[in-house]
Amino acid sequence: MAQVAPSSAPPRSHRLRRARSRVPIWHVLWLVLAAIFFLAPIYSLVQFSLEGTLPGQGPFHWYQTVFDDPVFRSTFWLSIQISLETVAVSLVLMVPTVFWIHLRLPRLRPVMDLITILPFVVPPIVLIVGLTHFLHNFPWLVVRPEVLAFIYVVFALPFIYRALDAGLRAIDLKTLVEAAESLGSSIPRTLLQVILPNLRAAIIGGSLLTVAIAMGEFTVASLLGFFTFPVYTYEIATSTAYEGVALSFISFVLIWAAMLALYLIGRGGRGAAGVAITE
Amino acid sequence: MAFAPLAEIGEAGLQPDVLTGAAPPKRTRTRRWAFLGFLPFLAFITIFLLIPTGDLIVGAFRTTTGSFTFSNIADIFHAPYPSAFEFSIELSAVSALWGGILGFVVANGVLHHGVPRWIRPAYLSFSGMAANFAGIPLAFAFTATLGNLGVVTILLKHLGLNIYPSFSLQGLLGASLVYLFFQFPLMILLMIPVIEGLRKEWREAAANLGAGSFGFWRYVGIPVITPSLLGLMLLLFGNAFSAYATAYALGISNLVTIQIGQFINGNNVFNPQDAYALAFGMIVIIIITIVLYTLLQRRTSRWLK
Amino acid sequence: MSTVELRGLRRTFGNVVALDHLDLDIRSGEFVSMLGPSGCGKTTALRIVAGFEWPDSGEVIVDGQDVLGQPANKRNMGMVFQAYSLFPNMTAQQNVEFGLRVRKQGHETRAKRARELLELVGLASAMARYPRQLSGGQQQRVALARSLAIEPKVLLLDEPLSALDAKVRVQLREEVRRIQLELGITTLYVTHDQEEALSISDRVAVMSAGRVEQLGTPAQIYSGPRTAFVANFVGTMNKLEGVVVSGEDRVVRCGPVTLIVPDPTFKHAAGDTVELFIRPEDVRLDLLSNGASPSPGFFNGRVTSLTFLGPVTRVGLLTDLGPLLADVSSAVALNLAADAPVAIALDASSLRSLASSDSSPSVPPA
Repeated sequence: MAQVAPSSAPPRSHRLRRARSRVPIWHVLWLVLAAIFFLAPIYSLVQFSLEGTLPGQGPFHWYQTVFDDPVFRSTFWLSIQISLETVAVSLVLMVPTVFWIHLRLPRLRPVMDLITILPFVVPPIVLIVGLTHFLHNFPWLVVRPEVLAFIYVVFALPFIYRALDAGLRAIDLKTLVEAAESLGSSIPRTLLQVILPNLRAAIIGGSLLTVAIAMGEFTVASLLGFFTFPVYTYEIATSTAYEGVALSFISFVLIWAAMLALYLIGRGGRGAAGVAITE
Repeated sequence: MAFAPLAEIGEAGLQPDVLTGAAPPKRTRTRRWAFLGFLPFLAFITIFLLIPTGDLIVGAFRTTTGSFTFSNIADIFHAPYPSAFEFSIELSAVSALWGGILGFVVANGVLHHGVPRWIRPAYLSFSGMAANFAGIPLAFAFTATLGNLGVVTILLKHLGLNIYPSFSLQGLLGASLVYLFFQFPLMILLMIPVIEGLRKEWREAAANLGAGSFGFWRYVGIPVITPSLLGLMLLLFGNAFSAYATAYALGISNLVTIQIGQFINGNNVFNPQDAYALAFGMIVIIIITIVLYTLLQRRTSRWLK
Repeated sequence: MSTVELRGLRRTFGNVVALDHLDLDIRSGEFVSMLGPSGCGKTTALRIVAGFEWPDSGEVIVDGQDVLGQPANKRNMGMVFQAYSLFPNMTAQQNVEFGLRVRKQGHETRAKRARELLELVGLASAMARYPRQLSGGQQQRVALARSLAIEPKVLLLDEPLSALDAKVRVQLREEVRRIQLELGITTLYVTHDQEEALSISDRVAVMSAGRVEQLGTPAQIYSGPRTAFVANFVGTMNKLEGVVVSGEDRVVRCGPVTLIVPDPTFKHAAGDTVELFIRPEDVRLDLLSNGASPSPGFFNGRVTSLTFLGPVTRVGLLTDLGPLLADVSSAVALNLAADAPVAIALDASSLRSLASSDSSPSVPPA
């Protein structure tokens, strides 16, 4: 067998491995372009929000103005309340339902899959058409902002369902329930004390998405005449120059924080972090 | 040491029912009771989703006095609605097409094995943020960027490029760019599991048989992914088609969703039943989209199993 | 046909040493298996040969040339993966033709060759089927045909049968060997199944912790293990502890029994404690009638367990030498019951003493 002369240069294999790991220019190019496209509007917001200040006012003057505005606080608080109500109703409705379907009604799975597609077929602007007519019959309901929470539950439905469904699929539900039953536990207790703790990541993930949806929802809120945070944002942004921009940036930070939390939770546990298709 | 008995080969497997003597479960009765657990959800959905939807579908075919008619539907084909449908479809299609292509390309970049580790979480979380950023704040972010006094507008002016007055954030190009901001990250997020579904063994087998990266994509990668790609683009289409807040904040009026909104706002003096017809038209278009999407998804899942 | 030589391959993943100076040579037309537990580095070595991984140092020499500089798609080696490697969007025929298509061969040439190969693996009737319409065994046959279509210099197989049912596995491994012999192609096969490796290979490289513990023919590996690892991994071994009585005469005393170690290379001084090994099939049993003493050469024991294995029954014993396993024909074992007293003898010619690990990989004379 012919002898292979050892090379004096660093072993070819070393150089090979480094070459392998180099990223093609094509990918670098698109990653950079994507970054620019994402960051440009955000940067523009920041730039604008720091401009137009009179001497003597700090660079964060507009942010200060926004935070000082009592209407900011009241609408923000209203939206938070509605979001929390939405989360509460969603969870109370969906957790037992999805649990029950997985446990006792597996045949209804395809039905659920179909139902959770409906909110896409009937987007907010379409739903509101039917709702206004329907709600005319209950004028007392239309005045209360709580009705928004119930409507938002419909929008959050697909995401909560997907999160819970994935979360339940990751645990061996039947075995856990049967084990609990053999130890004497009733079904509700099992749900509360055994299943729920295992669904923590899925529940938190689904809830975060719901909050994001509820805090950002404009269509139904504005058309039903409620003064929520997004509606307030629109008013400010169309009537002022700089406060509106500052407010938009604040919204961006909030959504980003929620998504970051979602991502971190998704990595920690076996939760299903879905993607919100909101508008 | 314990004595291990000779294994009993050929003995019938243990049959729990036989051993415990339990009677077979009363299936039908349990099922009926179990269904009760589904009722709260069903009731909620019926009240807040099914009835309003049913209402509007019925309303699309009713006159203000309550009699059955096709005239509402007919009204859709009269100005100004056809152009609104046209623009809605155009805008949705353009943002879906470009969002889809760019999303696919960038998803590939994010997933490339040689890429630094922080890229993936950074791009994924930002995509999640961007996909949700649609609405009022997004429109104003773009106004701050590409509006008359926008940062980029001014930058381009310095470079000698005057995009106004031919450019407008309310035109097809401008609005598409805005929509792209939430469409293309959505595609990235949706595309990632699809690309990851391309088994490593296929790439390696292709390389082993002599194909380079291009050969793999050409013969295996793209054919396997195409149904998914198209399906997701359809999803993007539906997403853009349903958009309201972003368009509203941009001041676009020539859109089906905005037109419907104007009815509800009371800004529209035409036949109020037309809102139902418009909404019904939207539902029809979206259902077509979803049916096509489902067919394409089924094709993909056969291959990516 | 080609020769393959792995020289001094070394690869670490962080703190884990996957390959620790691996040396292996495969002769032209030979079928060599790399056998070992998971984590021993066999798959890493194979993937380095194929070009999907690179070593930190070392060489892979095919026909006298170091191939590490070549990318995977230029090495002209056929590879069969463990599972899922068929392209889902192509029929069996199109899959097999793929390598030829890349090499720009004409439509008819490709079709002809694909048919030939699918016939070779017995799947000509399934040419137009998609992978999802084929069983696991059929898919692997198509994968084999596909890898052979390009007339590779070397055939690499990465545990191709582990994902299949037991019966299919036995059937298919015979076929792989048959085809390999027919084509005379140099083959490197990775498996953790010792029966597989022993039944179809020309030579077996038993691997552990990134190195070759022993390289030899299946018979050599089985009856002549050189290290305790090989002895234990391939087949079952009984271990006996004893004290050397006479180093020159190789006499060892284990409990009340005196044994003579047949291995002429046994070098220990009197008083050393040593470990001796013997396989269960080399342990003889004799039923003892009540109260009888064992004949000379036999020692006492009691049955503690009986495990039916088919043609043979494994008998667990508690003896004067400690716990032992003996394999006896099942017909004979019918006469045994728990706690039965038995007389035991060891086939002395099969007794071996082994180092706990060899510092140098053993390459027996060819």
